[in-house]
This record gives sequence, structure tokens and C-alpha cells, in this order.
Amino acid sequence: MTQNSTLSPIVGNDSLSHDSGSVQIRGVVKRYGTSPAVAGIDLQVRSGEFLSLLGPSGCGKTTLLRMIAGFEEPDEGDILLAGSSVVGVAPNKRPVNTVFQAYALFPHMTVAENVAYGLRQKRTPKAEIAARVSEALELVQMSSFATRNPRMLSGGQQQRVALARAIINRPKVLLLDEPMSALDRKLREEMQLELKVLQRQLGITFIFVTHDQAEAMSMSDRIVVMLDGKIQQVGTAEEIYTNPATSFVAGFIGKQNFISGTLGANGRVETQDGTFVCAGKSEAAAGAPVLAAIRAESIHVHTQEPTIEPNVVAGTMGVVSFLGDVIQYQITTGSGQELLARMTPTHGVLPAAGEKVWLSWAPEHAQIFPNPAPRTGA
Amino acid sequence: MRKFSRRGASVAALSFPTWAYLVFFFIIPVGLVLWYSFGYKPDLFTAHSNSTLSFDRYVEAMDPTFLSTFINTLQIAGLGTLICLLVGIPFAYWMAVKVPSKWRGLLVALVLVPFWTNFLVRTLGWQIVLAPEGFVSDALQNLGILNGPIEILYTRAAVQLGVVYNYLPLMILPLFVSLDRAGVSLREASRDLGANRWRTMFEVTLPLAAPGIISGALLVFIPLMGDYITASVLGGAQGNMVGQLVANQFNSAQNWALGSAMAVMLMVFILLTVVIVGAIYLIIRAILRFNRRVLIEEPAS
Repeated sequence: MTQNSTLSPIVGNDSLSHDSGSVQIRGVVKRYGTSPAVAGIDLQVRSGEFLSLLGPSGCGKTTLLRMIAGFEEPDEGDILLAGSSVVGVAPNKRPVNTVFQAYALFPHMTVAENVAYGLRQKRTPKAEIAARVSEALELVQMSSFATRNPRMLSGGQQQRVALARAIINRPKVLLLDEPMSALDRKLREEMQLELKVLQRQLGITFIFVTHDQAEAMSMSDRIVVMLDGKIQQVGTAEEIYTNPATSFVAGFIGKQNFISGTLGANGRVETQDGTFVCAGKSEAAAGAPVLAAIRAESIHVHTQEPTIEPNVVAGTMGVVSFLGDVIQYQITTGSGQELLARMTPTHGVLPAAGEKVWLSWAPEHAQIFPNPAPRTGA
Repeated sequence: MRKFSRRGASVAALSFPTWAYLVFFFIIPVGLVLWYSFGYKPDLFTAHSNSTLSFDRYVEAMDPTFLSTFINTLQIAGLGTLICLLVGIPFAYWMAVKVPSKWRGLLVALVLVPFWTNFLVRTLGWQIVLAPEGFVSDALQNLGILNGPIEILYTRAAVQLGVVYNYLPLMILPLFVSLDRAGVSLREASRDLGANRWRTMFEVTLPLAAPGIISGALLVFIPLMGDYITASVLGGAQGNMVGQLVANQFNSAQNWALGSAMAVMLMVFILLTVVIVGAIYLIIRAILRFNRRVLIEEPAS
């Protein structure tokens, strides 16, 4: 899935100087007790790349990040930073810095002292520390807070300080562990933009852990979707959105409808609501249980039965939710299947709950995945 | 104005149990001791009289025996607090950081086990342990570590051992709380920013544990200065502490005026020590702050 990436392929050139921020993860396994938190991961992070580790809580993304930082050691496999293994190297000896989830600012130091901490450990001259702290605080627009106590700052301000404290050390790789989970939505969207601009400016490799797919898509060059300690798919936001590798990825990114059925000939899927045409290919044999995935925004709602569309299903309108930029409809089909449709608001009259409606979607908007848990007797 | 006074009255009423307890069982007794210390012992059968007031009892109290016992007490208390700190910090750190959280409650309970037994009884227990013909002595001799029976009971060493044993939990608990509250993420942040274990210890862990260290040290030092049970049971003639002298004046010599003067001197001295240690702490903190300060030139706007 990574072959058709829009970025220039620079994988495999470890010796090049512009690759100093590359991270290679080779067959890494980490177990807690008997259950693996990370169950064999191979990943190449390119130098200067903004890479997101995306997945639900417990998928191993934070454990993977902590192993790169050095707070955990892998049970199996190897982690290479700029071409050399860092397994067994103490966290303070690794050329990486972390922005922690709860920021972890030192409460007994001022903002400037927090930012200066890393430089002081390297015995940097005082004058240089002052200049670089001032520079770093300016970069995150926190110059006027230098002498404040971090406890007196808001969440967004604390996050900027945590960012300044990490990047002042000029790490080769910056690790970010869900740094925006404590911020409200508006601030989070602002920070996402700023973070992306900052990353371009600095040219540092960013590895960003998040469970928020919108956040990952808005910032990342590539996204790694993880589930149960394994990688599900690696690719750009567009690739993952338009061409999900598994039904899990399809369901995790965006609002997805799944209709279970059996595979027929020529990309047809036979379901309880009729036979649908899907443009997507599937390796599964005819007769295999499959899931047809259609995004909520790909489904059109009609108040009269459409005549030319290939995939039409009738249903009863349920809840209509006005979400601002889109309206979400919940429709129950004849077989009892619930489908979600999202459309941009039009000036026409909205279908009311209980009305009979028809849904349609284009064949290219439906994807077929093997059904991981087919219902018996369906 | 009226509203305010009514509110003040209700606050006073609600806090009645607290202030009444403090007034009757702390302020009045301490005031009485202070008042008695200016009096004298009129005759053999009267404990005290305040008919003439003077500082004579303070002069009387400062005889060589009292002063040498006082210095002895100060050494035992100071050394005891130091040993409790040296034992308590690693133990509390281990409890708060290294032990899985499910075992922490049990460990705290185990630290408190000595308190389930009466103070006097557990001190008497040490008499049995330390006795020259006791089982420890026998075991050490049988193993060939000692040639004769241990000669530790009724010495200053026995008192030192006893006070560390008796007061250690009071040191461990506040240390544990402050280390536990600081959390693991700040230490990880310190390591992440390039500080090794020792720098992290001195720049993050210990400064954050400072409130626990201070309260633990006070909880051990203050009662230890006034302790006389441990010294009476384990110290014999050699391990005297001031608390015993004060108790003697009240109980045996029946000279309440002199006993009060000694008690007041003890209190003043404890207060002074606390002030001095507090000042040292503030100086150390100021030095640390001075060392890590960042001088940013204000941009000329």
C-alpha cells in the first residue's frame, strides 16, 4: 500500500545525511504478561516526515512510541535511529524528545527554566541557553510567559511550552503522545495547523500518536493505522480514505456503513436488501461472506424513487441530525439494516422522520471486504 | 456589616470543637507551664508557688547535667532524624515508584504495623531483643560473629536504635505521599530531556519530595526531642534524654517550677532548630533557583 505514495521514495538510503531523522522498526514485539501490546511491527519512518500512529486505545501505538523514546524496551526486534540501533540505550542518550500527553511540565520551575532544562543537562553556556530559550518561546508564541509558573497556564499554553521544551534540543525525531487530547476542539484545530507549519519549518521527523482520525488526516504525510498491536495499513490520508486495506481501516476512518452479504459474479454483492453493484475488486471467491462498505457521505437520499441509479434501496427515515456543515440521516431499510447518510444541507424540504425514502450510491463508492465475523444462518 | 458578623458567629460555632479542644488541651496547658516556670518550690511538700516571680528557675535549670543531657538529646534526635531520612527516602521511593500499584496499599499497612502495638510495649520488646542473654546475642555468638554477649542495652546506641525504630513510619508516610503524588511522568520527562538518573533525582524527584522530606523530618525530630520512654527503657544511666529530666522534676522531685522551666527551654530550642533548618532549606532552594535561572533579554520594542 505504500508503493503508490505521493512522496518521493527515499526508503533504504540510510547512509545519506538527510536521512539522519529516519526511524526503522524491525519486527518489534512487546508483551505485558502474556498478551502482546505490540505484536510484530515493521515500519520505516522517513527523515523529516510527519507520521501519525492512529488507532483505538489499547492498539499499541503509545507502547511503540515509548519504545522509540526508550521508556520501554522491546522483547523482540530492533529499533534504529538514523541507521543505528538504540535498543538498550538509556532515554537520556537518545536523540529524540517527547511531548507528553499531560505535558509533564516541572511545577517547581518557571516556563523559561522548563524550556532550558534539556540544554542545562548538556552543560550549554548560559548565554546560549538564554538566546535559545528566547528563540524557542518566540517560535511557540510564549515569550511573554517566560517567568510564569506552568501551573498558572491554560492547557493550550502548557502544550506550547512542552513543545518548546522538546524542540529546543534540536532532536532528530520528535515524539508526540496524544498532545492535543486535553484541548477543546477549536484550540485543537488551531494547534494542528500550527504544528504542521512548525514541522515544515524545523524539518524534524514527527511521530504523532493519536486516536483521532481527523487529527491524523489533517497533519500527517503518512498515517499508520494500528489494531491489536499490528499495523493494518500505512499510507497517505488520501490513500487510507479512498482505498482502505481492511474493513477495520474503512470503519475507523470516516462514517462507514457496512452491509453484510455474499459475493456474486462481476462485483455483485447479494444482501437481504437486494443485489448491489460494486466497482471495487475482491480476491474472495464467489459465494464468500463479505461486507460492502459505503461511506455515509457517498449515500444520496431521495424522496422519490430514482430510476437511473444502479444501487437503490428503500427505507424509512429515522433520526435527522443537523450537524452544521452536513445533515446526517439515519434510515432503516426493509430488512432492518440501519444506514447513515450525510449530505450537505440544501434549501429543499428535509425528509421528516417516518417518511419513506430511497437511498442510492455509485458502484465506485462501495468497497468489498471479507467479512471477519459472518453471521451464521443469515 | 451585620451579615458579616453573623457569618463570623456561625463559623465560630461550627469550629467550636476544634478551637475549644486547642484552647483547653493545648494553649492553656502550655500557658500554665510557662506561668509555673517563673515560680519556685516553696517547701518539701508543695510542688510549686507563684507568689514571687523570677527567672531563677531558668538559671537553676542550666546546670552542667542538664546542658550535657540536652546536647546528648540533640545529638540523638538529629542523628535519628538523619538515619530515618536515609532509610526512609529509598524505601518510600521504592514503594511509590518501583512497586506495582496493587501492592502499595499492603505495604503502607505493613509500615504501620508497629503502631498496632503500644509504644511502651514495643520499646520493651527491644529490651528482649538486645539483652546480653537474648536470642540475637546467642545467635551471633553461635555463628562466631561475636566472642561475648552483645553489650548494647542501656547505652546510647540502644536509644538511637530504639528511636529510629519508633519514628521511622512517621518519616516514610509523608515521603511516600509526596513521591507518589509527583508521578512517574515528570521523571520520564527529565530522562527524555537528557538528564541521567542522578540529575533527575536531584533536579526533579527530591525537589518535588521536599514538602514530604520537611514534614517527615519535623514529625520525627519534634516528638523525638521530647521522648523519654525510649530513653528510660533502653538507655539506662548512659542514654539520658531531656524528657526524662523534665518528667523527673514533675514526678519524683515534685519541683514543678524547675520542670516547667526545663520544658519551656526545650520548646524554645526545638522552635529555634526548626527555624534554623527552615532557613537552611530556603537558602538551598534559593541557590538552586539561582543556578537554573534563565536570563532572557527583553526585546527592545
